[in-house]
Amino acid sequence: MNLKRAWYVFAREVRLSPRSPLVFFAIAMPLIMTFLISSVFGSLFDANPRLGIADDGSSKVTAAALQLDGVDAVVVSDVEALRTRVEANDFDAGLVIPADFDAELAAGGQPDLEFYVSGASLASNRIILSITTIDLVRDVAGEEPPVTVVVTPVGDEDFVPIGDRLLPTMVFYAVMIAALFLPAASLVDEREKRTLDAVLVTPTRMSDVLVGKGAFAVILAVLMGLATLALNNAFAGQFWTMTLILLIGSVMMALVGMALGLWARDITTMYTAVKAGGIFIFLPVIFVLFPGLPQWIPKLIPTYYFLMPIYDIAIGGQSFGDVLPELLVAVVFCLLLIPFVAWVARWSQRQLAMTV
Amino acid sequence: MSASNVGTIIRKDFTEFARNRFFVFITLMVLVAWVAVFWFLPSSVDETVRIGITQTDLGGVLPAADGAEVAGLSLTSFPTEGELQAAVESGDDGIVAGIAFPPDFLTSLAGGTTPTVTLFVPAGLPAEQLAMVEGLIGEAAFGLAGVAPPVDPITEAVVLGTDRVGAQTSLQDQMRPLLLIMVLMVETFALSALIAVEIQERTVVAVLATPVRVVDFLAAKSIFGVGLAFTEVALLALLIGAFAVNAPAIIVILLLGAILVTGFGMIAGSYGRDFIGTLMVAMLFMIPLMIPAFGALFPGSSPVWITILPTYGMVEAVIGVTIDGDSWSQIAPALLMLAAWGLAAFAAGALILKRRVATL
Repeated sequence: MNLKRAWYVFAREVRLSPRSPLVFFAIAMPLIMTFLISSVFGSLFDANPRLGIADDGSSKVTAAALQLDGVDAVVVSDVEALRTRVEANDFDAGLVIPADFDAELAAGGQPDLEFYVSGASLASNRIILSITTIDLVRDVAGEEPPVTVVVTPVGDEDFVPIGDRLLPTMVFYAVMIAALFLPAASLVDEREKRTLDAVLVTPTRMSDVLVGKGAFAVILAVLMGLATLALNNAFAGQFWTMTLILLIGSVMMALVGMALGLWARDITTMYTAVKAGGIFIFLPVIFVLFPGLPQWIPKLIPTYYFLMPIYDIAIGGQSFGDVLPELLVAVVFCLLLIPFVAWVARWSQRQLAMTV
Repeated sequence: MSASNVGTIIRKDFTEFARNRFFVFITLMVLVAWVAVFWFLPSSVDETVRIGITQTDLGGVLPAADGAEVAGLSLTSFPTEGELQAAVESGDDGIVAGIAFPPDFLTSLAGGTTPTVTLFVPAGLPAEQLAMVEGLIGEAAFGLAGVAPPVDPITEAVVLGTDRVGAQTSLQDQMRPLLLIMVLMVETFALSALIAVEIQERTVVAVLATPVRVVDFLAAKSIFGVGLAFTEVALLALLIGAFAVNAPAIIVILLLGAILVTGFGMIAGSYGRDFIGTLMVAMLFMIPLMIPAFGALFPGSSPVWITILPTYGMVEAVIGVTIDGDSWSQIAPALLMLAAWGLAAFAAGALILKRRVATL
């Protein structure tokens, strides 16, 4: 391998990148995925009960409801709108508070309170909102319960909310698209258009091409990984450690991508292989999402060894030393992949020679 | 238009599609994976909050204190505080919190003193559930102290719409339209890639140098595209039980959906300069087209902008038939909307492809 010629290949990749839909794809997709995963799936798995309130008299109950933790309370304009939206299941329940509600409550009365429930709301949400409503009204009435409640947390102190468990999914997409998909598609494209043949008749060797393309993909993947972590505020004060982990993960993915790009006979085959193999390399992410599954299974997948260190540092608060053993395994995988990629490259060159 | 020419082009396309055995194998494998994911999803909805308690003689003030279950709440008695804590810690039997009433709870209240209740909660208990359990303890104490609640939303609630308690829509049922649309979207890309290759490699020019006319070419691509998309989505629908209720309606919906994606596939294929370019253009269509199916996963009505998206009618119709058991007349508006979008996309796709072919 010649570093100068590898640099030329790298520089060409950088120069052509603004015009490349592939690079745009590699930059745009992780951002779209971050948005979709965090905003759509985060709230899907962790939905709060929804309470609509039609308040004719600016009741203190309404003000207190809007401050509730874990309940999405919304004030609507009138009772008819509330009924319509409860029926459409926009709210699990709807509360109608008459104008003189607080005054009647203060006078010790039992004011009327209309409580609508959506037919499609869960029974658990109905009971939660009912008891919460009683609690709110008692608070406003100044009734203190004749009991002291001492909350004692028990069990798994390592519990992680679903929103945090989605972090590896987002990092995975950022690294996978830029580091794996980009060099694979680029190599297949160059072989299909025969520009690779043209390059290889110059003194540039296949190893120079692979190093140049790989370096570009790795740098882009690291940058996209860092951007994803920044968007999720997940550096945990360890920027350089995260950068190192992303670098190792990106190198691993880029090696897989290059092997794939050299092997696939056309872009359709490559895309199909990514579609199928994606399920395999995505597996560790699924096991993070569902911690109840047997956790020895994802350890069989190489991507585990760079995704878990990121997760352990960002969410678990671990240090570089804690994740070092996993990182070393990732490095071993990278080292094992290098001769494999070299072998596929030689095989690919023989194929090219036969078709010229 | 010559039926013979159209048939020949369709056979050519099918041969090209089937020749790549790896592609066919993986396409089927992905289909199997989606089916596996579908059947892995929960087929029922657990609507009950399960709470453990150490007292069993509070039936007068706590609903279901003696083991009976009221809608949405179930109380389970444990003999000792230690066993209660262990149950909460292990999460067995779905116990989400444990209320350890002290042995002197009743006498303390009767004596006018304030008893202390220990509430065991697991890490990650949602805030609304914690507030509810605390409220429940307070209500038990109020009840024993003879202080009735100033309002009673539990028994006076008015249910609006069809009451689904005990028969909620499972995640499996909610995912059905999404899976069907996802497979159709993948076919959008597959068809656009087939068309893009014909344009990039100019094989269409070679085809049109024969007695084949442009209209034959367009008809063949349309029939092959609709057939490919429909076959795959119908197979998936069969495997995920979408035909269990009103199969003819589902067939019509899927056929219209296949026409819709074929139109978009032709547009994407006409504009794509290479594989990635085609993928990008196809993605521009795929992402908005999938939004209505994602929206169906969330409760409540969709925002207005979602209701005008082309696949909204398809999602509404599939949900109407498979979940609500709607009749033909009830899904007619959604079907008409889907048909209108399908025809518009198809006409636009055919026109754009025709113009693209003419420029070669």
